[in-house]
Amino acid sequence: MKYVTEFRSGALAQKLAREIAALVEPGREVKIMEVCGGHTHAIYKHGVEDLVPAEVDFVHGPGCPVCVIPMGRVDDAIALAERPEVVFTTFGDMMRVPGARGSLLEAKARGADVRMVYSPLDALELARRTPDRQIVFFGIGFETTAPATAITLLRARADGIRNFSVFCNHVTIAPPLRAILDSPGLRLDAFIAPGHVSTVIGTRVYDFIVEEYAKPVVVTAFEPLDILQAVVMTLRQLREGRCEVENQYTRVVRRDGNPRALAALEETMELRETFEWRGLGWIERSALRLRHELADWDAERRFELPGRRIADPKACQCGEVLIGAIKPWECRVFGTACTPERPIGTCMVSSEGACAAYYNYGRLARRRERVPV
Amino acid sequence: MSLDLDHCITCGDSAELAIVVAVGEADATVELAGRREQVAVELVAPVSVGDRLLCHAGIALEKVAL
Repeated sequence: MKYVTEFRSGALAQKLAREIAALVEPGREVKIMEVCGGHTHAIYKHGVEDLVPAEVDFVHGPGCPVCVIPMGRVDDAIALAERPEVVFTTFGDMMRVPGARGSLLEAKARGADVRMVYSPLDALELARRTPDRQIVFFGIGFETTAPATAITLLRARADGIRNFSVFCNHVTIAPPLRAILDSPGLRLDAFIAPGHVSTVIGTRVYDFIVEEYAKPVVVTAFEPLDILQAVVMTLRQLREGRCEVENQYTRVVRRDGNPRALAALEETMELRETFEWRGLGWIERSALRLRHELADWDAERRFELPGRRIADPKACQCGEVLIGAIKPWECRVFGTACTPERPIGTCMVSSEGACAAYYNYGRLARRRERVPV
Repeated sequence: MSLDLDHCITCGDSAELAIVVAVGEADATVELAGRREQVAVELVAPVSVGDRLLCHAGIALEKVAL
């Protein structure tokens, strides 16, 4: 397939694997956090882990928006969906995420009008077509997804569509990284930063990681060769004693991101003082809400929400998985009580979650068989 | 970018490479993994037929230089 096959060449992968093997110091472990769930998924789907020496340890980060949504917010979404006047629209990934009162899918089975959409613009179109119903869109995602919500809000305002609103849970990528870097006892050597978030926010956002924490960062795309090349770039920085924000994804990402996307976000949303992240707790200025000027389209202002804080199930160790403190298979319920069919934690629900990636690609234990390079 | 269909859309890293086949006012028709769909192009305008766009959740996020 054009523009995909080129980034999945086995011969080039072997060449990069040999470069990686030559850059590794035998016996010295290098811990690289891939921030994004998309990278975690790609690493296991394509067997990237088996192409690198044992000294390279991929630590899976918090960059899966489905995984970090706290149960209380899912319950708020269900409360909205159960209102008789509401049609609750959501990306399909959120349908199975459990709150304390079950999932949106279960609410739909009980009679709530929950509909899956591909884009918030589809939800806006639904609002145009059904003026007698309140259409609420579940706004979830990092800065990659937030611009779609922003564009939709601007169109709703421009067209005067009043029966549309957003339940905004958009989050930002930099604050949780700082929270992880401030975690006591967590040892990381470098970061592979998310490519598509960086398309919007640019690479300069990560400057604090090199300046304040002295960790190399490589912004990276999602094909297996991209990830292998990012490992080469990371190991070269470490070997040469450099500490920089490097951009592997030059075909899309720029240092300043997409200024028009940032302007759309600025016009429609502002930082919340604080927001709860599953596994990471409350992080200041880490999530977005609608600006006062968009109050008419803000579901949190339009409807009363329970707003209760729900503790995660005791057996679930998603929190430790999300900060890279344990591998998914080290969780006490991984693959037994918690499976993709009957998930307890969000890391198993989301197809980008680290637990789902491990489970789906057979990484059920520590044992690894590497590909000879 | 990825053309895999088993990614999580919420994540944004399911963003897909699409090629513009027709240009409208605020939207463009793109061909994306063998199907055609409308995407909003406010963030990357102006676009022309043949441009390659990184698309996610119904909008184009960036032009792609390949």
